[in-house]
Amino acid sequence: MSTPPPALQVRGLWASYGTGAPALRNVTFAAEAGQAVAVLGPNGGGKTTLFRALLGELGSVSGTVTCDRTPAYVPQTERSRLDFPVSALDVALMGAYARTPWYRRIAATDRELARGALARVGLGDRASTSFGVLSGGQRQRVLVARALVQDARLLLLDEPFAGVDRASEEAIMGILDELRGEGRVLLVATHDVEQARRWDRVLCLRGEQIAYGPPAATLTTDVLEATYGAEIVVLEGGERAVAVQHHAH
Amino acid sequence: MQRALLATLLLAIAGGLLGTWIVLRRLAFFAHAVGTATFPGLVVAGPWGLAAPLAALGSGIGFAALLARLTRRGATSADAATGLLLTGALALGAVLASDVYHSGAGVDRLLFGTLLGLSDGDLRLAGAVAVTAVAATAGLSRTWLATGFDPAGARALGVRAQRGDWILLALLAAAVVAMLPAVGALLVSTLLVVPAATARLVTGSLGALLAAAVALAAVEGVGGLLLAYHLDLPPGPAIALAGGGGYALAALASWPRPNRVRAAAS
Repeated sequence: MSTPPPALQVRGLWASYGTGAPALRNVTFAAEAGQAVAVLGPNGGGKTTLFRALLGELGSVSGTVTCDRTPAYVPQTERSRLDFPVSALDVALMGAYARTPWYRRIAATDRELARGALARVGLGDRASTSFGVLSGGQRQRVLVARALVQDARLLLLDEPFAGVDRASEEAIMGILDELRGEGRVLLVATHDVEQARRWDRVLCLRGEQIAYGPPAATLTTDVLEATYGAEIVVLEGGERAVAVQHHAH
Repeated sequence: MQRALLATLLLAIAGGLLGTWIVLRRLAFFAHAVGTATFPGLVVAGPWGLAAPLAALGSGIGFAALLARLTRRGATSADAATGLLLTGALALGAVLASDVYHSGAGVDRLLFGTLLGLSDGDLRLAGAVAVTAVAATAGLSRTWLATGFDPAGARALGVRAQRGDWILLALLAAAVVAMLPAVGALLVSTLLVVPAATARLVTGSLGALLAAAVALAAVEGVGGLLLAYHLDLPPGPAIALAGGGGYALAALASWPRPNRVRAAAS
């Protein structure tokens, strides 16, 4: 009996912006259906570059990527414009744009799907609310609903818990668990080591792949030091390590 | 006067629709600068025997190319470079008009528009731009909305963001050129920015914004023309005054919070 191929397979991936030096080197990993992979690394470590390469947005990529459909991307909510005249439902409906020809209205079935997706992230009663007046966590949930409407097998989530209130964090965690249960693959970019421990696999990046595997075996002090350089603080007799991030604002 | 009214109504359609996207995409200053950048082209069009729209378009494209060149290495920010080139274009046009070609009273017409002398060609261009703006808004609204809302995520939604941006910029240039005879190089924003910015204060959805921007551009355009006719003003400044009045009324009506926020919060 042969085992099915992994839902996502990346082999020898190098990626660069334009003609410059590669921003990401030598990434090789595979994820099974239903697995969530934390993509861990410092700012500028290559998390966004990996996502953009998987989305096919970088011209200069070598290596092979195998996944069965176009991935969905869930950006950080700070990257979206809050002054746009769009409701939560309008944003969720963007998930149906790719399958709607330019000369057609969005199908009634897709409108139902979008309402259902908002209900699933706990925002069914906020469909007509302007996106800009929702809380940061609610906006993040709307962006997850948009990815649900896209119905992708692979979801790329960029820091989905950054600046999110507790209620939204629990709601997003719940929905991500459901998505794993449906056999979807999740890549969750984070710079938070403790959060990375929650997922099935962890991929450590610092311009290149440092390590890949189950969190317990992978997140050793050596790997964390290689991932974060000198920015690592080891607590509680070496059992817990915390990455110190300096954000430029 | 009838020609001027017809031209204004056609330009109001283009200005309201494209203006909505220009305001949402924060291209208002760029649009104003493109208008001003056409001034040297308009000044030399007559003496050089060029068609005014082509000379204006060439001047505007030259401005865009210089802007791209100045901002390429990041040493000058886009808004500073835009201000620099806008000033340079105005100065170049003024020197050409006063000292080289002695354009005389014609300069007022180039800068602020005219009620008289709108040609069939001007009307045809206004009509073509209006029809194209309607077609592009119908076909590209989703692309422009997704790209403007979330540039990083738009391509992953299957949206052809870059192509949409090029079409928007080309339409902006065409609309500017079409508006020059009626409102002049300095005041294209009266039809291309002011109505949409005003409509933004009192509307909450994209459809309402587009409709209100077109309606406001038409009302302010026609009101400005009547003002210009009775007070013997150039149409550009008269429409600009009507637009300023409209914005003040909308700001008062939506005080203390714009309707788009109030409606959404309830």
